Amino acid sequence: MTGRLCLLACLLGAPWAWADGQGLLAILAEELDRNFRILREKGDPAPYFLSYQVTERRGVSLTASLGALKGIEEQHGRWLDVTVRVGSPKLDNYRRMPGEQVQFTSALPLPIEDQPAAIRQRVWRETDRTYRMAVERFIKIRTQREVKVAAEDESDDFSLEEPVVHVEPVGRAAFEVDSWTGRVRRWSAELGRQSGVLTSQVSWGAQQETRYLVTTEGTRICHGRGYARLSLRARAKAADGMDLVLEENFNASDASRLPGDEAVRQTIARLTRDLAALLRAPPADPFAGPAILSGRAAAVFFHEIFGHRIEGHRQKDESEGQTFARSVGTKILPEFLSIIFDPTRRQFQGQDLNGYYLFDDEGVKARPVTVVENGILKTFLMSRSPVRGFTRSNGHGRRAPGFEVVSRQSNMLVESAQRVPEKRLREMLIEEIRRQGKPYGLYFREVVGGLTTTARAGVQAFKVIPVLVYRVWPDGRPDELVRGADIVGTPLASFARILATSDSYEVFNGYCGAESGSLPVAAVAPALLVSEIEIQKQQKSLDRPPFLPQPTEEQR
Amino acid sequence: MRGALAALSLLSACAWAQPKASADALLAAMQDELARGRALRIIEVPYFIEYAVDQGDQTSAAATLGALLNSNRSRFRIPRVQVRVGSYQLDNTNFVGTDFYAGTRYEVERLPLDDSYAALRHHLWLATDMAYKAAVEAFSRKRAALRTVSAAESLPDFHPAPPVELLDWTPLPEVNAALWRERVRKLSALFLRYPKVIGSVVDYTAARDVQYLVNSEGTRVRQPSGVMFVRIRATSQAPDGMTLRDASVLHTRDLARPPEEKDLEEAARRVAENLTALADAPIGEAYTGPVLFEGEAAAQIFAELLGRNLVATRRPVMPPGRTLPLRASELEGRLGVRILPEWMDVVDDPTQTEWRGRPLFGHYRVDMEGVRPEPVVLVEKGVLKSFLLTRQPVRGSQASNGRARLPGGFGAKAAAISNLFVRAAQGVPAEELKKRLIELCRRRDKPYGIIVRKMDFPSSASWDEVRRQLGAAGGGPAVSAPVLVYRLYPDGREELIRGMRFRNVNVRSLREILGASNDAHVFDYMENGAPFALMGAGAYVAECTVVAPSILVDDMELDRMEEEMLRPPLVPPPPLVAFSGGPLDR
Repeated sequence: MTGRLCLLACLLGAPWAWADGQGLLAILAEELDRNFRILREKGDPAPYFLSYQVTERRGVSLTASLGALKGIEEQHGRWLDVTVRVGSPKLDNYRRMPGEQVQFTSALPLPIEDQPAAIRQRVWRETDRTYRMAVERFIKIRTQREVKVAAEDESDDFSLEEPVVHVEPVGRAAFEVDSWTGRVRRWSAELGRQSGVLTSQVSWGAQQETRYLVTTEGTRICHGRGYARLSLRARAKAADGMDLVLEENFNASDASRLPGDEAVRQTIARLTRDLAALLRAPPADPFAGPAILSGRAAAVFFHEIFGHRIEGHRQKDESEGQTFARSVGTKILPEFLSIIFDPTRRQFQGQDLNGYYLFDDEGVKARPVTVVENGILKTFLMSRSPVRGFTRSNGHGRRAPGFEVVSRQSNMLVESAQRVPEKRLREMLIEEIRRQGKPYGLYFREVVGGLTTTARAGVQAFKVIPVLVYRVWPDGRPDELVRGADIVGTPLASFARILATSDSYEVFNGYCGAESGSLPVAAVAPALLVSEIEIQKQQKSLDRPPFLPQPTEEQR
Repeated sequence: MRGALAALSLLSACAWAQPKASADALLAAMQDELARGRALRIIEVPYFIEYAVDQGDQTSAAATLGALLNSNRSRFRIPRVQVRVGSYQLDNTNFVGTDFYAGTRYEVERLPLDDSYAALRHHLWLATDMAYKAAVEAFSRKRAALRTVSAAESLPDFHPAPPVELLDWTPLPEVNAALWRERVRKLSALFLRYPKVIGSVVDYTAARDVQYLVNSEGTRVRQPSGVMFVRIRATSQAPDGMTLRDASVLHTRDLARPPEEKDLEEAARRVAENLTALADAPIGEAYTGPVLFEGEAAAQIFAELLGRNLVATRRPVMPPGRTLPLRASELEGRLGVRILPEWMDVVDDPTQTEWRGRPLFGHYRVDMEGVRPEPVVLVEKGVLKSFLLTRQPVRGSQASNGRARLPGGFGAKAAAISNLFVRAAQGVPAEELKKRLIELCRRRDKPYGIIVRKMDFPSSASWDEVRRQLGAAGGGPAVSAPVLVYRLYPDGREELIRGMRFRNVNVRSLREILGASNDAHVFDYMENGAPFALMGAGAYVAECTVVAPSILVDDMELDRMEEEMLRPPLVPPPPLVAFSGGPLDR
């Protein structure tokens, strides 16, 4: 609540010009009603549901390297996603068939000006195209059902939800491009100057996103939010050819909330110090043993190995691994852990969260969802596609323009009842190293991301890509940085090995890519102590560092 | 800190066009880093290094029915670094693995936009390192392959070229993006008056480009070049569901003389009217016989059949057991053979800047490999005399004739025409050709003859449609679809028909030219190497002009198109009501 009040105050204080979303909504609604009415009358099979979602993005991004601007791009566009459902909610053209990815929409560009004739002509043709595809697939599904065995989960294809009317003014703030260009240039010069840095870049971007949704159920939504991002990246190459990359990303809802000069300079100093240390560090050896994952590393770990497996649609797709499809009500995590997904949360300890939204892309109001309570699985992340035992959406149907909605993560909060101070967690790690008789343990400080496979055909596994990994020695020697380690493992085994957590939380903001496109998400977690984690050597480049020395001014 | 500030002030003083070579940070960085590249003697010695940079500052906008769809500005500097190891006789190119590189990429696909000498050199240093490593690897793999396979013909790998110095500091005119946004918006609104047109887009792009090139042979080029085009594309649908397309593109190389508003309006109106007429036109029947290509259509068919075949392709060296489906030019191996009637000549001349007072779109001074082009007689008295050549040796070539105009494969560039002049010694007045067509039909007892006035070249089709068209040609040569096809009846009456496709038309069809007009049509287009020069398909374009007379060609085959037609939409189109208070009422 405080978060909301704070933002409103910021908006009022800023030089914004308001234009409301009513114009576009009205045009879309008129065309929606006309198409639906006529298709209901003449279509065979007729649609029972029609919706238009428009994503409007206005933004700017720029990149600099070595003090020079490398690219600058301004974007303003609107993209239309049409959803046509023919048949009935019990069985429609969206029915999941094993291994088939449904794709009707095409993110058709729409005019960025509210001119009814121009918008309506495009919407009309796109509705026609989508309707034809919907009919074709529906007929195919009906035939297939007669020749194939029944699916394990015969849930409906579309849930019934309350229509929502919510119209916010559309933000038209100007982005302070000039002042950011200057800053980004300056920071990139500073980053590039550091010894050992082969290539480096600083990028900045700010965007206002507005989503419009009209449905034949009566939903009329226009809502939006801002995104801003500052990212610093430096690369080096070790003498053995290994490519080393370090980066730091800052995400906020508005560029004014990104870090200032002092904080960025500290980041540059830290990045280059770490990069220099990595260049000197020995390559990692394959190892299995106890470890601590920092809060940010733990956040990525949970996003990959847990988050993707409780996305609702995976529970009824028979090509999916369905790790937890029948685990509701049973213990799947240590009982001191609970997991909540809360898209309504704007911030955590002052940091903006990337996975914040008010309504999902099917117009369902966002709400906090406790997925795991004291280790017990309670529910899944739900879109309007029901699964056995869960007939309603909980506001997690999401997509990027051009993709069909599936259930996706928002802001994941990993809560622990077994918290100890960081110092104690470290002592526990050393006790565990001794207990297991291992030479050392591991500390994962920074990760850049990860990936996971959930499909039945693939190996049920995950990979988290850490960039700063230390060996922790039980004899009190200082921690030793190693390079080129990947965390690997299988999900279920990993959960059982969580022993304790720290008492402080860290935020990882990022973009998650899956079936419905790349979406902003966040994960918040405490540091984890695990009894065993496995690392493998990263695949490494074989080519040498550059043959010629770096050019200098004297060579001119 | 100080360095960054200096770069900033340089930029704000608009440093694209500096008066001296030493003051051009990019050119200086290119030269200095190139000089250092000669020290790369670690494994193989580079005998040739080339740096090319395409610098661009482009604005564009698109609109439909009076509303803006988008508006963009993009600025870039894209480096193309080539390192050749070995010798002119045998090097790392013309090998199937020439362009393959699996090593570390250093984020140097783009160079800094600021004129920062140090940053530019840093990028070029790393780009050279990558190109050198790729060259060494390709060369060793090529030599390994050559131990087990013998090359189809023993040709050298690269033609030497004399050094060229062309440093042009002329500033390019500014483009008023706001004005052009408004203009495309207004033009697009013309389609509000044509209810049969169900989709339309008008867009413009204005490019202020500078091409830089330096190589280890001593060539230095800085060549500013402006290009602007306005495209008008639209579709309508016949009552049976057949989708119809038409497009019109207006170009200029002189940014100070953009296409005029009245010409743009005329072009838009014509596209709308063509589509309205086509929607009501009957579907044509299969036809074999004489076809009159009038005006634009004649220039288009020459661009397609001749322009794209006046090149000789070279097959790269391949490891044993591998094949590569490379389509050879239809004119391969036909030097000295008659390909046109003996009263026709064809000359390609990039050195001409205008023709009868009209600027020529295909003019340039130096090609992509730093070679100054000369006029080339390609066909003399109907006989093929020469090909369009680059520095890639092909059978019979001794040197480049400066036609390297597009990126090619395996270390080479692709050749394209510039200003192609097709001349007929026995031209007759245009009306006379029509009479001859009627005469032929009478003699052969045909109910009508066919006139084609416009082809879909460069094509405004979708990729899907292009794939279907190529599929229908069964892998053989295909020409673009005719857009405006008319039946000409013996009484002189004309009837527009739709849904026609050429069959079995290729470069040999040009031997059946029966007559040509004594006037000429000038047709500008942008070649990008894609099938039917599909609009927007290539990142690189070569500006081309074809100047040609109308021609009467015998034995042409036309068929009804075979593609499935979509049924018309169940929902009728929404009303075309203009926005009240919007830009239309201003």
